[in-house]
Amino acid sequence: MTEWLKRLRGYVKIIVWGFAPQRFINLCSNKGILLWNIEKQDDVYIMCVSLESFYRLRSIARKTKVRVVISERYGLPFFLPHLQRRKAFLAGLVLTVMFWIVSSMFVWDIQISGNCVITDDMIFQFLEQEGIQMGMRKSNLDIGELEKQIRRQFPQVTWTSGRLMGTRLLLELKENDAPIPEDTQGADAIIGRDLVAEYDGVITDMIVRSGIPQVTIGSQVAKGDLLVDGKVPIYAEDGTIREYRMVTADADIRMEHSGHFRIFLPEDYILKKYTGREKTGYFMRLGDREWKQAQKVSFLQYDSILNTHSMKILKMFGINGTFGKITYREYQKTEYLRDDSEAKEILQEKISDFLESLGEKGVQIISKDVKIETKCNGWVAHGELVVQEKVGTQVDTTQKED
Amino acid sequence: MQLPKDVCMGALRVTLTGNSEVWIENYRGILEYTGERILLQARTCQVCLEGSRLSIDYYTNEDMKISGNIVSLTYI
Repeated sequence: MTEWLKRLRGYVKIIVWGFAPQRFINLCSNKGILLWNIEKQDDVYIMCVSLESFYRLRSIARKTKVRVVISERYGLPFFLPHLQRRKAFLAGLVLTVMFWIVSSMFVWDIQISGNCVITDDMIFQFLEQEGIQMGMRKSNLDIGELEKQIRRQFPQVTWTSGRLMGTRLLLELKENDAPIPEDTQGADAIIGRDLVAEYDGVITDMIVRSGIPQVTIGSQVAKGDLLVDGKVPIYAEDGTIREYRMVTADADIRMEHSGHFRIFLPEDYILKKYTGREKTGYFMRLGDREWKQAQKVSFLQYDSILNTHSMKILKMFGINGTFGKITYREYQKTEYLRDDSEAKEILQEKISDFLESLGEKGVQIISKDVKIETKCNGWVAHGELVVQEKVGTQVDTTQKED
Repeated sequence: MQLPKDVCMGALRVTLTGNSEVWIENYRGILEYTGERILLQARTCQVCLEGSRLSIDYYTNEDMKISGNIVSLTYI
């Protein structure tokens, strides 16, 4: 800290020699002149003294019969006149500082986070309507009002927070995660929706939440049969139907049905065989612009492998910049033939993958009968499955109104 | 009242840190200064510091700091 103060006020390194240099040092301290870094080198003394005190040394030097010579100058008072001669540099420095100060008065980047249903484009469009865009003055920005406007414009936004970080406007949103309740008074309520079967089979389990069930557990149904009716009758006191209330049928219905699958595996297959010939080039991307090292790729068929690195320093300024290497690898398409054991192994794997994917969809496999046969130019795996799964597709009630 | 001797009698106050730094207060002035020897005048005595590469980091009317390789400190 004191070093900075010394440099701000300016100091000189002096060389002292003559009749009584020790007395010179003593007199300096008696007169309150601070000396530092005093060193003896051969016959001379080297020391530092502030610029202000240096002008008071004349009388002391005369009295002690020593000679004082400046060897080096340090600090701002020596730097400024030196700078004055370099007018263009000084002007550039002043302009840079001014540009920096003026630029920091504007918003140069807007970042939105937390939005899932509402897209960035929708928010940017709204911000533009509100007059909030990149390049606007920070002083014209009322963040509190903006937060309110966002919540008003987008009802699904439950919380907003805006803040300025340097020249960047950060908008954080929180959308309503809870499912939107079904509007029973809306269009569906007038039409109503039924649940119908997608397959032929037997009902094994049934929980109805809304609508009138048309089948029971153990019922044999055909594809397209009505499972739950979305037309709920309302009875009058005399037992007659007064009116029908249309609802959206909702139920968990499980059905046992049979299905068939078939997987074909051809005898021949094509693989890329890399020739080992490669070409490498470099590229750079700044925003939407891209610069590529110009080169001719003479390969007939090739893969392009991009190895990219993002420029983190540019990210701080809101610019998306990447650079990297492109490698072109030549290949030739080569045809191979499978043998029997290899084909069976692949088919087994495919079958187990298929059954696994059914399990992930909530389909319970009751029994399976799989066969692998050799057909012309390949192998076929086919089988019969008995499965239990959730059924029920919604259709408009009005189609079935009687 | 037990006043410190350096305050009431103006006695020399020497603070040594290892053999590389020394702070000295209540001196009158420098009598001799070379890279190997510094002779100081106090109120009642003289102090001689001997060593090598001796330099004065700062020197004011109140105190001074000497650094270098200090070998001995002698009251004369």
